[in-house]
Amino acid sequence: MKVVNHIREIRLKNGITQVKMAQDLKITRQTVNAIEKNKYNPSLELALKLIRYFNVPIEEMFYLEGYEEE
Amino acid sequence: MKKKRLERLTMGIILIGMIIGGFIGLSIAGVTINFSIAAAIIGAPLIGFFISYSLSKWRKKRMGTIPEADERTALMLKRYFLGVLYFVLFGSGAALLVLYAMGIQTIETGMLIVCMMILYLVIGIGTLIAAKL
Repeated sequence: MKVVNHIREIRLKNGITQVKMAQDLKITRQTVNAIEKNKYNPSLELALKLIRYFNVPIEEMFYLEGYEEE
Repeated sequence: MKKKRLERLTMGIILIGMIIGGFIGLSIAGVTINFSIAAAIIGAPLIGFFISYSLSKWRKKRMGTIPEADERTALMLKRYFLGVLYFVLFGSGAALLVLYAMGIQTIETGMLIVCMMILYLVIGIGTLIAAKL
């Protein structure tokens, strides 16, 4: 089952650029792009950092495909 | 600060190693070392170092504190080297079988060195590409 995320929407809502996010989270801009396009699933460590960075609950950021409504 | 010192030390050792290696290589080959050859042996690594140093400074200025590699880079390189391992392992075996089937009984070591150099070059370029994807 594919993991999907709402990082792009959350990032744009907060007015943060990919470069700023990459600098703050100490990751490359390519990784930010790959995560946002659901081409790469971040490690648990990075996922937890993302949640803390945007201050949102995990279910708001990541969900399994087909389970979004729940 | 400690990391920076270690980086400088490593770079210095590599540079000195390259220069010494150049002189050793030429003396083994029996080449008489004159001023222009010595200048090339000493100058080439220094110029190479200066170019790479300037590029890294330019990158730092342009990209700020964004790191060059992260967990995804490590994963991509891991996958790439796994592919390279099987390619080299089975590829060299297949190449040997093909050569044997063609009737070639011996391989000149000089030719083997050239083949390995090309292989290393291709793997190196591939590594750079895999790291930047």
